[in-house]
Amino acid sequence: MVDFIQAVGSGVLVGLIYALLGLGIVVIFKASEAFNFAIGEFLVIGSFLFYVLFFDLRLPFLVALPLGLAASALVGALVERLTIKPLLGRSPMSMTIVTLGLGFLLRATVQLFFGSHTYSFFLDLPDITLELGSLIFLSDPIWAGMLSLATFGLVLLLLFRTRWGLAIRAVSESQARSMAYGIDARLILLVIWALSATCIAVAGIMISNFGALAAGSGIVGLRAIPVVLIGGMDSIGGALLGGLIVGVCESLVAAYIEPHGMVGFKEVAPYILLLLVLFIRPYGLFGTVRIERV
Amino acid sequence: MISVENLRVVYHDVISVLNGVSLRVDDGEVVVLIGANGAGKTTLLRSICGLIKVFDGDIIEGDIRSGDTSLLGLDSMDIIKRHRITYVMEDRPVFEYLTIEENLEAAAFSRRDGEIKKDVEQVLEIFPPLKNIRGKRAGYASGGEQQMLAIGMGLMTRPQCMLLDEPSLGLAPLITEELFRIIEGLNREGLTILLVEQNAHAALSIGHRGYVMETGRIVLDGAAEELIRNEDVREFYLGAGERERKSYKDAKRYKRRKRWL
Amino acid sequence: MKAKTVLAALLAAAMVLGLSGPTMAKKIVVLSQFPMSGPVGSLPEFGWGYIDGMNWVNTEGGGVNGKKINWYLEDFRYNPTVEVANFNRYCSEFSRDEFLMATGYITGGLKPLIKKVNVEEKIPWLDGSYSTEIFGPEGGPSKYPYYYSLGATYGDQIKVLIKWIKENHKGKGRPRVGFVISPTAWGRDGPPEGIEYAKKIGVDVVAQIEYPYTATDATSQCMALRKAKAQYVIYHGFSGAGSYTAIFFKTAKKILKGVQLMGTHYTTGRFPILVCQDAFDGYIGVATRPFSDAVPRSQTPMDNPMVKLAHEFAKKYRPEEYKKELKGGGIKDMFLYMEGLTYALIIQEVLKRADKAGELTREGVKKALDNMVWDFKGMFGGKKFSYKSHTIPMLRIFKAKVKMVKVGGRMVPTGGVYPISDWINTDEIEW
Repeated sequence: MVDFIQAVGSGVLVGLIYALLGLGIVVIFKASEAFNFAIGEFLVIGSFLFYVLFFDLRLPFLVALPLGLAASALVGALVERLTIKPLLGRSPMSMTIVTLGLGFLLRATVQLFFGSHTYSFFLDLPDITLELGSLIFLSDPIWAGMLSLATFGLVLLLLFRTRWGLAIRAVSESQARSMAYGIDARLILLVIWALSATCIAVAGIMISNFGALAAGSGIVGLRAIPVVLIGGMDSIGGALLGGLIVGVCESLVAAYIEPHGMVGFKEVAPYILLLLVLFIRPYGLFGTVRIERV
Repeated sequence: MISVENLRVVYHDVISVLNGVSLRVDDGEVVVLIGANGAGKTTLLRSICGLIKVFDGDIIEGDIRSGDTSLLGLDSMDIIKRHRITYVMEDRPVFEYLTIEENLEAAAFSRRDGEIKKDVEQVLEIFPPLKNIRGKRAGYASGGEQQMLAIGMGLMTRPQCMLLDEPSLGLAPLITEELFRIIEGLNREGLTILLVEQNAHAALSIGHRGYVMETGRIVLDGAAEELIRNEDVREFYLGAGERERKSYKDAKRYKRRKRWL
Repeated sequence: MKAKTVLAALLAAAMVLGLSGPTMAKKIVVLSQFPMSGPVGSLPEFGWGYIDGMNWVNTEGGGVNGKKINWYLEDFRYNPTVEVANFNRYCSEFSRDEFLMATGYITGGLKPLIKKVNVEEKIPWLDGSYSTEIFGPEGGPSKYPYYYSLGATYGDQIKVLIKWIKENHKGKGRPRVGFVISPTAWGRDGPPEGIEYAKKIGVDVVAQIEYPYTATDATSQCMALRKAKAQYVIYHGFSGAGSYTAIFFKTAKKILKGVQLMGTHYTTGRFPILVCQDAFDGYIGVATRPFSDAVPRSQTPMDNPMVKLAHEFAKKYRPEEYKKELKGGGIKDMFLYMEGLTYALIIQEVLKRADKAGELTREGVKKALDNMVWDFKGMFGGKKFSYKSHTIPMLRIFKAKVKMVKVGGRMVPTGGVYPISDWINTDEIEW
C-alpha cells in the first residue's frame, strides 16, 4: 500500500511537469491546429538559455529565471515569425511538418553552440524533501511539481482574466473573425508561440535540474504526445488531466511491472493507455468532438 | 464615402469572382446590395475591409477608396482603426466559447481608450435581449441573439461605416423585423451602412439606394423605392411577378434580357 | 595536420624513394576508429590524442624503425554499422600486405566482424571494448585469434569490485550487493560472471535492476534497492558523462544513505564529479587507466609517466584546447586525449617489434602482439603486462573525493578520483 502511495505521489509530481508540456502544445494547437513537434528542442533551448544566465553569467536565480523565460519567449516568437507566419492560411498539416524539420534545425543549432556533452545543472533550491515513514518524496521533484502547477495556474489566469488572454481565446477560435473585429491575429499568434515556449522552458529547467542538461535531453519532450492525445488536443483542462494520467501511469508501471523484467515498459505504457482511451473517445477525454461529413 | 471602381477579384489564383464591380456608399446612407448566392457580394465586402487575402483571394484590378485614400493593400486592422470601416461577417461571427460580455470586450481589443466598459453597457442597451444573457456563452445563444451580438461587436470598434453581410439569414421574420429596426435606428444616429442581403424586401425598405449584383457584376442600381418597383427585381428577388403562373418554357431566365438597362 | 595531407606527403616521399633506390619503402596502413560524436556526446579529444600521437610517431618518435605509418582516422559516431562499413571500405581499398592493423571502440562492432576479421582478413584488431563475451573465458584468443582488447574485461572489473567488497566489508553477515545496469549489450556484459564469482566467495546479490539511458528520474530503481537492503551498488554500463548518471547518483545519495556506490570503467572519472557534484563523493570504482584529470585541472597529480606524457603532448600540440577545458572547443577530459594517444603508441610499439623480427605482415603483427610484454610507457606504475590473453588486464581501484567550495558566489565541485589500490593484474589473480 505504501508503495502504491509512493508511486502515485511521484507520478503526480512528474505528471504536473508533463501537464505543462502538454499545455505548451495545446495552446498552439487551439490557435493554429498545428502540433509543435519541435517541443523537445524548445525544452532544451529554454534550459540552455537559463543555463547561460544562471551558471555562466552567475546572475542570481530570481533574475536569471525571468530573464531566461523572457529569452525563451523571444526565441519562440522568432521561430514563429521565421517559420510559421509565412504559412499563414496554409493547411495546419504543413505547419506541423515544418515543426518536424524545425526540430532538427534547432537541435543542430544547439549542438553548434553548446556541443553534445553533458552540462551539470544544479539549482540548489531549498531542500523540501518529504519523508513520511517509509515514503520519501525528494525535494527536486516536489519543486518541479509545484512550479509547474504554479506556471499552469498563471497561464490560466492570463487566459481568463486579462484582455490579452481574451484576445488569445478569440484568435484561437477563429483567426478570420478576430481580424474582422480588428484583433491583430498575427500578433496574437506570435504571443501564443512565445507563451508556449515559456511554459516549455519552465518544464525544461525543472527536468534539467533532476540530473543534467545535454543537447539530446529534448527527447523527453515527446512525452507530451500521449498527454495531449489522451486529454484532448484542444483542451487545456485535458492537458492537466492527461499529464497527471501519464505521470501516474509511468510511475505505477515502473513500480509494479518493470521489476518483473520488462524494463523500459514505462515508456510504452502511456501509449498503450492512449490507444485504449482513443478507442472509447477518439478525440481524447476532453477534446472537442468534431462531426464531419465525410 | 466609400467608392469601388472596376474591382476584379480572383480566388485561389484561378476563380474569378468579381468581374469589374463599381459602386459607391455616401456618408449617412444605407446602401443595399442584393443578389443571388454566389454573386460575389461577400467577396466584395471582404475586399473592402481588407480581409480578402485571408481567404486566399487577390484584387487583381480596380480600386477601393475611402474618401481620397486607396484601401488596397491595407489590412483589416488598419481599415478599422484609421478608416473606421468595420465588416460584420456572414453567418453570425461570434466567439462561441466566450460569454456575451467577453465577446464585446474582445471586439474592443484594438482600442486603447478607457471607455470600453461604457460602450459594452451601451451596446447591451441597444440590444435588450443580450442584456438578459450577458454572462452566457455565445455558443448557447439563439440565432437572433448571436446576430445581434455580432452587430454589437462591430459597434464596439466605433465604426463610421459598417458592412453587414446577410444579417437576416436563418432568422425568423419577427426577429428580422426587430433587427432591421435597430439597424435603421443606428443609421439615423449617423452610422453609414452597406447592407448585403438576400431578404431583398426588408433590406430595400430601410435602404436609401441599392445595387443588384449577378455573377460578379453590378447589373442594376438606383434608389431603393425604384428597385422595389422594378419588374425584374420583383420577379427574381422579391418573389412577385405577373398574376399567372409562368411555365418553365417561357422563363428564359437571364437570357430574357441582354442588358439590364 | 589532416590525415589526407600527411598521406599525400608520404606518398610523394615514398614515390621518390621507391623510384630512386633499391630499397622499396613499403606502405604501412593502419585504420583507427573512435566515437568522436554521436550518442556518447561530442568527443573529438580521442581524435586529437591520436593525431598528435601519430604525428609524433612519424617524426620525432622514429616511426617504425625509420619507416612512416600511413595512418587513417575515422569517426564512427558510436554506431556499429558505420564502424563495420568503414572497415570494409578500407579492406577493399588497400592490399593485405599494406593494411596491417585496425582499431575500433564498440562492442557492437566486434560481433558482426567476427568472421571477416578472424577468418577472412586475418587482420589484428585492437578494440576499446572490454567485452567479457569476446575476451572473457567464453571467448578469448582461441575463439577470436585476431581480436585484442585494450583493457581488462568487464567481468574481471566486476570481480575485482566484488573481491574488494568481501575484503573490506565490516559488520556481521554477508555483504549485500545490488547491480544497476543499462539495458544494453554493454550493461549485460560482465555481471553474470561477477554474480557467479560473488556466489562462490560468499557475497549476496540482492538485486539486479535495469536503468535506461532515457530515464528522467531514478526513484523507482533506488526504492527497489532500498527495499532489497543493498549495502553496495555496482553501477555498470553507463558513461560517467551522461545525464542519467547524474540523475542516478543524485537520487541514490538521498534515498540510499550509507550505501557504497561503485562502478566500472567509463563511469569512473572526471565527468561525474562535474555533473553529480558531491553526490559522487565516496564513490569507488575500477578503471583500466590512470586518472589524469582532477577538478580543477591544476590539481592533477603528475606521478604517472603516461599521464605526464599526455599532458605534455596536449600542452605542446593543442595549447588552446588544453587551456579551454570545458569551454566550447576545449579538451573536456584528458582521459579521452590520453586514450587516443595510447592507441598511437601501442600501434607504433607493435609494428616496431614485428618489423624488428623481420615480419612486417599481418601474421607478424599478430605474433608480436601475442608475445608482447610491455610496460606501456610506465602507464601501469612500472608494471608490465603480457598480451597472451588478448587483454591488457591491468586494473586499479579508485575512490572519488569531492568537495564543494564557494567560487565567485556559487558552490562548485572540486576533487578527483584517487587510487586506493596498486595496479592489479587480473591474469595473475587466483580467483
